Amino acid sequence: MDLTLRGVVRRFGTVTALAGIDLDVAEGELLTILGPSGSGKTTLLKIVAGFEFPDEGTVHLGNSDVTVAPPRSRDVGMVFQNYALFPHMTVAQNVAFPLEMRRLAKPERERRVAEALALVELAEYGHRLPRQLSGGQQQRVALARAIVFKPRLLLLDEPFGALDRKLREAMQLEVRRLQRRLKLTTLFITHDQEEALILSDRIAVMSAGRIEQIGLPDDVYARPGTRFVADFVGESNLLDGVARSGAEAEAAGFGTVTLIAPAGAPGARATLLVRPEALRIGAPAAGLANRTTGTIIETVFLGLSVKLRLRLGTGLELLARLPLRPSEPFPLAEGDDVPIGFAPEDVHVIADAGR
Amino acid sequence: MPAARVATSVRPDPVRARERTLLLLATPALLVIGVLFVWPLLRLLSMSVADGTLVQFEKAALDVLYVTVLWESIEIGLIVTVICLLLAYPVAMWLVQTSRFGFILGMFFLLLPFWTSVLVRTYAWMVLLGRSGVINRALRDLGWIDAPLPLLHNRLGVLIGIVHVMLPYMVIPIYAALLRIDPDLRRAAEGLGAPAWRAFARITLPLSLPGVFAGCALVFVITLGFFITPALLGGGRVMMISMLIEQQVREFLDWNFAAALATVLLVVTLAVYAMLGRLTGGAGHAGR
Amino acid sequence: MTFRITRRAALGAGLAAALPLPAIAQGAVAKPDRIVVNASGGAMANLFRRTYNAEFEKRHGIRVVDTSPVDFGKLRAMVESGNVEWTVTELGGQDFVRAKQMNLLEPLDLSIIDLSRYPAAVRDSHIFPSSVYSTVMAFRTDVFPNGTHPKGWAEFWDVRRFPGPRSLRNHPVDNLEFALLADGVAMDKIYPIDMDRAFAKLDQLRQHVTVWWTTGAQPAQLLVDREVVLASGWNGRFYDIARRGAPVAVEWQGGCAKQNAFGIPRGARHTHWANQFLQVMTTPQLQAVYATELAYPGLHPDTLNFVEESVKPHLPTTPANLEKQFWLGVDWWTDNGQRAQEAWNRWMLRRG
Repeated sequence: MDLTLRGVVRRFGTVTALAGIDLDVAEGELLTILGPSGSGKTTLLKIVAGFEFPDEGTVHLGNSDVTVAPPRSRDVGMVFQNYALFPHMTVAQNVAFPLEMRRLAKPERERRVAEALALVELAEYGHRLPRQLSGGQQQRVALARAIVFKPRLLLLDEPFGALDRKLREAMQLEVRRLQRRLKLTTLFITHDQEEALILSDRIAVMSAGRIEQIGLPDDVYARPGTRFVADFVGESNLLDGVARSGAEAEAAGFGTVTLIAPAGAPGARATLLVRPEALRIGAPAAGLANRTTGTIIETVFLGLSVKLRLRLGTGLELLARLPLRPSEPFPLAEGDDVPIGFAPEDVHVIADAGR
Repeated sequence: MPAARVATSVRPDPVRARERTLLLLATPALLVIGVLFVWPLLRLLSMSVADGTLVQFEKAALDVLYVTVLWESIEIGLIVTVICLLLAYPVAMWLVQTSRFGFILGMFFLLLPFWTSVLVRTYAWMVLLGRSGVINRALRDLGWIDAPLPLLHNRLGVLIGIVHVMLPYMVIPIYAALLRIDPDLRRAAEGLGAPAWRAFARITLPLSLPGVFAGCALVFVITLGFFITPALLGGGRVMMISMLIEQQVREFLDWNFAAALATVLLVVTLAVYAMLGRLTGGAGHAGR
Repeated sequence: MTFRITRRAALGAGLAAALPLPAIAQGAVAKPDRIVVNASGGAMANLFRRTYNAEFEKRHGIRVVDTSPVDFGKLRAMVESGNVEWTVTELGGQDFVRAKQMNLLEPLDLSIIDLSRYPAAVRDSHIFPSSVYSTVMAFRTDVFPNGTHPKGWAEFWDVRRFPGPRSLRNHPVDNLEFALLADGVAMDKIYPIDMDRAFAKLDQLRQHVTVWWTTGAQPAQLLVDREVVLASGWNGRFYDIARRGAPVAVEWQGGCAKQNAFGIPRGARHTHWANQFLQVMTTPQLQAVYATELAYPGLHPDTLNFVEESVKPHLPTTPANLEKQFWLGVDWWTDNGQRAQEAWNRWMLRRG
């Protein structure tokens, strides 16, 4: 393991920012810490970088215990949210800074700077000042500066937040490519679940100072361990249910839901997750094990898909997402009463919903 | 092309209109500066050559008295500036990092001298620094000294008194400059392998230089104009050019000569100011 | 507002009629709302308010506004710009001669101001002699008890018999005279001052003068703080601290007496009332109050009659004190002041 956290606790007065974090990041892995603001992910990042120290627990980089080591001795490259480029130094001077601190000889330094800048496709920009660059270029400089000294860990703190959507997507792919190519062990902090799903090898979802779930992106998406994860990662229909005997559950406002396996001991509470894209509307709903009817109360067109808000007779509301074919007009409209259905295998059961 | 230009100028330009409004709002201040500063300055300059000759300047330049005193004034100005800088920088850094309470407390003590009159302040220093003042008595009681240290009525006393008053003028611009520096920059430097002092030397210090320059300029220029503090704390042993100017104005009503001395002081001040600007301005880009 | 002025005017007229003064003459002159008297601030301003200002307001029903400080440069600027705020102003130090020379003063109306009983030497067409003060030697009575203090400037210069740090004013006035007296010049032979001789004598004392004072409060404070044991200074300042129990006393021998002066700035409004104010200032009873409080007596010969016996030894005009002092040579200083000051600056600058 390249980065290992064990039982890390951090308190600020009476507030517990981190309530016992265990985390392992494997060599060359890109692990994303995903969480809403206030979940403790920034504190976790600072503890890994060495800008803060844990009250309890340990931090290891490789085999060395860096729990209370100062930032400079950790060998961690970090890209800050606002890039934190030194405004009075040129791009080349910025990138050379970590090499200079490591007292590399000048020729070697210049070679590595040129290499790093070439890697982020800014070879021609070495003599410019950061303020003379665009946002995306500044970010690439920050990235070059963070990897030029071949750190044992790369930290990315919401680095794409300031970019517009198109540039953000391009940068995300570029970072991913670079990370793979250089086999950089990377800890990536974000609150953007979409970004996390695109980039990560694994995702750790944080809430209230704890890691709620850690796993592969499609695991976290399709099989969330907790109601919070289900709600935070992607859009969801969450039904409050009670397990029945056999592969069935009783969902509030919906009625009996057929599952592929028992939801637990009969009478046990469970949350039933049905992703919006698993709902079938209209004719395709026919023949599915779980069926009902509802009224379309809102339609939102999203380019490749359309999002529908539906209300059942019981008052329960459901979200559905249907693919759109550009050549065909969308057949449904607000106010239509439509059949709704989903297959048993599309229902994910989260046991003990705690409510 | 001219036609097009006419066409565009017909349409009201909101940006230009805003500029005009701002200029209008700034007019009172500009007028005050013009009337209270530029006009007297012009009068001063014209008074210094009122005889139609440069005799007044000749007298100021050739008389070893005025040259010596002017040099001494500049020397004191520079020493005060350097001491203030060394004292103020850590204070400013502390103010940036401290809690809100610490900030208020620090500012309170820093600005305290502004709330007392120069005379009260100066007499307070006399009580502290005198031969049988608080400091000398304490040192004698502790057995560290036999005879009182000469802290007052010499250049040291003058420097202490001026530095005390001038410190806020140095702290506040540096504080403002430090406050503008993104704290992530220091973190970034340390994260990239810089020990604290190198992060300071390479990042914080160069980025705070505009504040350092502003503080130095303020302190130096204001110090040159001091005359009550050096007169009282110097015990007559420290003479500053402003004291001589005041003498010419108030005692001898020789306003032409006073104007010439003031003009020389002004020119010297501007020259030092320009030098300082070049020094710190150059250092600001000394990264390469 | 109108009513108020009318009533005040009536009140003033009534008062004026009740007083045995040339009331008919003043009745014809319009009364302003107020006059402005510019004088030294601080304790002196308070005393002015209680004495001369109060009396003037009582007699004439015109409010007196006091301003400070005394500033010769400002006087000149006012007169030259024709915008004179002051009705009457004090004239600091020896400036009154120059003020008259530079034509900055209105002539006094001696039909209003009665100077007939003043010494002939101080009667002037433009300068009103308000009071007398003296630069004298003061010493700590615990260091020099029972009359063992230096008596005169020759002894002040004698650092072997009278050891200890001294303070003198950072100014040529007085010091050049004291140096000549110390060097054996007779009091009536001081002027014209031989500057070379004076500075040569000052050279001898130089290293024993630890403080060259600048403001009047300094020498008294220096003595109180034991910063020095001997100092020159204005008699009123030492009187003040001695009255409050400080172990400080004064030696009148060789003191330099001077007259304090007031004048009416040229172009001042209400010159009639300016003269009336100065006439109030000739009242010996009020001068006596002033003398008792500050030890700066006026020059009306009756003033001493209204002063308590215990105060008289502290006044420069008491005959026994007056004969030990000399009068400052105002004319010499008027002609040679700037030259002497430059020589003084040069001398101060010489390290040694």
